[in-house]
Amino acid sequence: MLALRLARGTHPLVLLRRLLVSAASAGVGFLLLCTLGYAVGHPGASGLRLLWCALPLAAAAHFAVAVARSDPSTRPREGLSAVGLGPARLAAIAAVSTAVSCTLGSAVALLVYLHLRGDITGLPFDGEAAGLLAADQPMPLAGALTLLAILPVTASVAAGLALRPRTLRPGDVSDPVHPEEPAPTPSGLPWGFALVAAGLAFQTYVNGGRQGSALPMPGHPEGSPAGVLGGWALTAVGLALAGPALAHFSGRLLQLARPGAARLLAGRVLMSEARRIGRPLGVVCAVASGGIAAATLYGYRAGPHPFGPLTGLGAALVISCPVATLLTAALESRHARADTTRALVELGTPAALLRTAASLRALALLVVFTPLTVAIAELAALPLR
Amino acid sequence: MVAPPDNDVLWARSLHHSHGGSPALTGVSVGVREGEILAVGGPRGSGKTTLLRCLSGSLVPNEGEVWFNSGPVHTLGAVAREQLRRDRFGWIDPEPALVPELNAWENAALPLLLRGIGHRAAKKAALEWLERLDIDMCAKKRPHALLQAQRQRVVIARALVTGPAVLFADEPTAALHRTDRAQVLRTLLTAARSHRITTVLATHDTDVAALADRTVVLIDGCRVNSIENKGTSDAEGVAACSLSV
Repeated sequence: MLALRLARGTHPLVLLRRLLVSAASAGVGFLLLCTLGYAVGHPGASGLRLLWCALPLAAAAHFAVAVARSDPSTRPREGLSAVGLGPARLAAIAAVSTAVSCTLGSAVALLVYLHLRGDITGLPFDGEAAGLLAADQPMPLAGALTLLAILPVTASVAAGLALRPRTLRPGDVSDPVHPEEPAPTPSGLPWGFALVAAGLAFQTYVNGGRQGSALPMPGHPEGSPAGVLGGWALTAVGLALAGPALAHFSGRLLQLARPGAARLLAGRVLMSEARRIGRPLGVVCAVASGGIAAATLYGYRAGPHPFGPLTGLGAALVISCPVATLLTAALESRHARADTTRALVELGTPAALLRTAASLRALALLVVFTPLTVAIAELAALPLR
Repeated sequence: MVAPPDNDVLWARSLHHSHGGSPALTGVSVGVREGEILAVGGPRGSGKTTLLRCLSGSLVPNEGEVWFNSGPVHTLGAVAREQLRRDRFGWIDPEPALVPELNAWENAALPLLLRGIGHRAAKKAALEWLERLDIDMCAKKRPHALLQAQRQRVVIARALVTGPAVLFADEPTAALHRTDRAQVLRTLLTAARSHRITTVLATHDTDVAALADRTVVLIDGCRVNSIENKGTSDAEGVAACSLSV
C-alpha cells in the first residue's frame, strides 16, 4: 500500500517511466504467450522460439531495474528514515513497485492475446489472429500464467538486489558540500575487448563453411547458425564491460590541451559518471551493432517476408529497452549531480555553458562509440554474407 | 527612483521579503561604502542571509530597491543579475561548496574560466591566490582529500580570484572549529583590506563582528541599533510561554 501511496504523489515523468516498463512487460508477455500458442499448435518445435524470447526478456528486465534505480521514491530520504523506512524497506518497496508495473503489463498482454484469439469479444479486431495464435486449441492456463510471471519475478528480484542495502559506493552521489571519494577508474577494458574479440571469433568460426543451421534466424529457416546468437551475446557482455572504461576515456579526451570551463566540466563529469552511463551505452552499442549486422544479413538474403510481426515486436523491444535504459541512466546521473549543478549556478555559471557541456559529453561519447559499433557490426556481418 | 548617495557602492532601501509567506526582511535599509568591511549581525533566522542574497542580486526582494554603483539591481532580469554576480561580486557560503570533480586550483580558477580567460592565465591567478591563503601545497588535491578548513580557504580563493567589487561572506566560519575559524577569518579580512575589496560579512558572532569597520544588526528582519534590543520585553516573553501545552 505504501508503494501505491508513494506512487500517487510522484512526478508525472516518473509515472511515465513506470508505464513504459509496463508497456515493455506487455510486449514481452505477448511474445511469450504467442510462443505458447505456437507450441500448442506445433508440439515439439517451439524451444527455439522460446529461446529467442530471452533477448526481449533480458532487455525489459534491464530497463525495469534501471527505472527502479532512478525512482525518487526508492532513494533514502530523511522523512522516511525518521519513520523507520530505511534502505532495506525502500529496496522492498522498489521490488514491489517493479512487480506491480510488470504485472500490469503482463495482464494487458494476456487480455490483448485473448482478444486477438477471439476468446474475448465485443471489441474491434476480434479474433483477427485466431489462426496464428492456434485459437482452435484450448490454452494451457498454468503455462500461460507461468510464462507471464517470468518477467515480474525476474525484474522485481533484480531490482531488490540492485537496491539492496549496502554501503554507499564511491561516486554514487555528487555532493559539493560533503565531497566523497571518487569512484576508481573503470578497469573493464581488457576483459571487455577480450570478450568482444572472443564473440566475434566464435561467430566467424561457427559460420565458417557450414550452412546447416542449428538455430534458425527468425524468418530465415534455412539461414544462420547457432553461433550468431552465442557470439553476439559474448560481444554484448564484452561491450557492457568495456563501456565504462570507454566513457572514462572519452571524458579524458574532452579535456586535452588546455580546456576552458565547458570542456573541463564536461570531461570531468563524464569521467565521474563513466560507470553509470558507460554500461547501458555499451549495451546500446551491442544492440546497434547487432541491428546493423542483421540489416546486412536480411539485405543480402531477404525473402518475400523478411520477418513477421512477432519478430518485429521482439526487435522493437530489444532496440527500445536499452535506449530507454540509457536515457534513464542519464536522468539518474543528472539527479545525482543536481546539488553540484545548483552550486555551479550559484557561482554564476550561465545555463548555456551547462548545456554546452552536456552536448560536448554526448558528442564525445558519439565520437568514441560510433566507429566502434560500426566496426564490430562489420566484423560480425562478415561471415554472414 | 532616486539614485543613492555617491559614496555608497551598494545601497538598499526598505527591503521587504518573505519566503513563501513567512517574513524574512521587513523594511531594511543599508548602505555599504567603498572599501569598507560591513558586518551584518544578528541571531539565526534574523534575515542576514536573505539580506545578503538580495544585495548580491541572487534574490529579488518583494519590495524595496537595491542599487550597485548607481545602477539599479532589483529591476535587472535574471540573466543580467547572473552576469553581475559573475563579473562584479564574490560569494562565500557558510559551508564550502566545491565542484567535487575538479581539484583545488581548478575550483579556484573556475570563475576565471567561466569568464573565458585562458587556461594558463587562470591557473596562474588561482595558484597565486592559493599561495596567499597558504594552501598552495594542496592545489592538486580533490575536495574529498581536503580538510573542511582547507576547502573553505579554496572557496575564499575562488571568491577573490576575480578581484570582485563586492565580496559577500555568509557566515564564512560557521562550520569551522575555533582555531581554524580565527585563521580563515584573518586571511579573509586581510585579503579584503589589502586589496580594498568591499566586504559584507554576515555573522552571528559578536567577536567576528568586532573585526569589521561597521556593524549592522538585524533582529527578526528589522534593523536595530544594538544587539541587546530584542524587540520584546521580558514580560511579554513570559506571557507568550505560559500557554498551556
